[in-house]
Amino acid sequence: MKNKVLMGLAAIMMVAVLSSCGKKPQAEIDAANAAIEAARTAEAAVYVPEEFSALQDSLNAVMAAITAKESKLFKNFGVETEKLAQVATLASTVSANAATKKEEVKAEAANLLTSIKAVIEENAKLIPKLPRGKEGAEVIEQIKADVATVDAAVVEAQGLFDNGSFMDAMNKIKAAKEKADGLNAEVKEVLTKARIRF
Amino acid sequence: MRLKRAWRITFRIAGLTAALALAVFLLVRFVPEPPAEKVELARLALSEATANRADTYSRKLYREARSLYDSAMINWQAENERFIYFRDYARVSEFADQSARKARQAAKISKNNVTDLNIYLGQKIEKLNNISGLINKRFSAYPLSPEVWKDISKGRMLLKEAEVSYKKSDYAHSRTKLAEADLLLSGSYEKASSHLSEYFSSYPQWKKWIDKTIADSRRNNSYAIIVDKYSRKCMIYHAGVRKYEYNAELGPNWVGDKKMKGDKATPEGLYRVTKKLGNSRTKYHKALLIDYPNATDREEFRQGVANGSLPKNAKIGSLIEIHGDGGRGVDWTDGCVALINSEMDVVYKIASEGTPVTIVGSMLGYDQLFE
Repeated sequence: MKNKVLMGLAAIMMVAVLSSCGKKPQAEIDAANAAIEAARTAEAAVYVPEEFSALQDSLNAVMAAITAKESKLFKNFGVETEKLAQVATLASTVSANAATKKEEVKAEAANLLTSIKAVIEENAKLIPKLPRGKEGAEVIEQIKADVATVDAAVVEAQGLFDNGSFMDAMNKIKAAKEKADGLNAEVKEVLTKARIRF
Repeated sequence: MRLKRAWRITFRIAGLTAALALAVFLLVRFVPEPPAEKVELARLALSEATANRADTYSRKLYREARSLYDSAMINWQAENERFIYFRDYARVSEFADQSARKARQAAKISKNNVTDLNIYLGQKIEKLNNISGLINKRFSAYPLSPEVWKDISKGRMLLKEAEVSYKKSDYAHSRTKLAEADLLLSGSYEKASSHLSEYFSSYPQWKKWIDKTIADSRRNNSYAIIVDKYSRKCMIYHAGVRKYEYNAELGPNWVGDKKMKGDKATPEGLYRVTKKLGNSRTKYHKALLIDYPNATDREEFRQGVANGSLPKNAKIGSLIEIHGDGGRGVDWTDGCVALINSEMDVVYKIASEGTPVTIVGSMLGYDQLFE
């Protein structure tokens, strides 16, 4: 009788101990990691770098909390499971923000490319009208070199744009646009001084 | 008797419960404590380092800190796999401490680097813009090769790209572009400067010719013409005093002395007007023919052919004039000096056969012009 009572108590204790051991929320961890990977694929690190860093940091914090819980005798991952779900949601938001930002940059780059091509076309029409070196043959040589440089930069920028590297394309286009505009103003100034209609 | 037995059972249950409670207490009490706080501090330090862009501006330290953090986590997870009472978190703690320390250092260094880079790149952009401006000022009318102009143009484009990145606080990209721009712009500038400086090494000779021409004009109370090729000026002196100064156009290869026929260079030296050609005798409005080649030119030409610096079948040029039809804004002549017609009229009027015509690279020395 005595032994039966002792065994019963021990069994209750075991059940109590075992029932306290929660399982690591592996499915939620995988889902959060997949969501972050999706954000990375959406180039969140390029278009919304600060949000992406914060997202990664959130996952690191949850993973540290889970590992801390795993070190304990009695585990309950309820809070962490909830946080993992929040990380996954945040990752989706970051992905969406990255996509929006990317579209904005793409549109801006496309506009700049169109406008720079228009300036290049105008320059191509104006340059032959230059008085054979109103500013000297050397200036014509410089203008030719500038035209070639702008053309090369636009080709490079177009290549980056076509490859989807809109941010890199943007930097190049902005510089090329400034240069092309400068060239346009320079040529127009020379033509105006020489009283040549354009 | 039955009461006594009941007491005994109650006492035993109480004892057993107490023993179990003690066992649970001991079970929990001796579980090794993980360094969760230290890992958390390391994570926060890394987060701060990332916010300070240490991944870009203190890359090595940041990577070390990140790697140490990962090691801490991996070790922690590995320890968790072991039997609970055999776990040892000493290495986890050590990795976390090191990670936090390095992350803090990385954040601090990155912050300083960003500040320093901001200043450095700002100055570098200013310096390269100055070089670009100097190239314009000194060489816009200087016959540099198309390759050099191509480099200069490319350098300017890279400088623009660097400025765009700088304005966006993308200092790493700006630094890369500036380094490329510097190579092209400074390289081209040095190449052009060295060419120009070499040309100006003849300045002492030019100075002697100028001084002699002005002194003779003063002594003889007569007119003299001096042509400054670098500044494209034709100056008329009377009695040693400059009376007129006109813009001039030259041959396209104006840098250096004329060597032979067809080299499109304007000669340098002491000459005299040998013939005045009125409107009916020249196709360039009016002209003053000078005595090129003189004895010195002939001797230099002979030596050039003899030492092989000139082709054997080369011919010495002739018919170098100061004439009209200028104002084209380009060095277009075959070596003559061209003025606009109204100014040529003045020069034609004051000049006579024998009037000295001194053609020099520059009236001013390199230092006076550029330093």
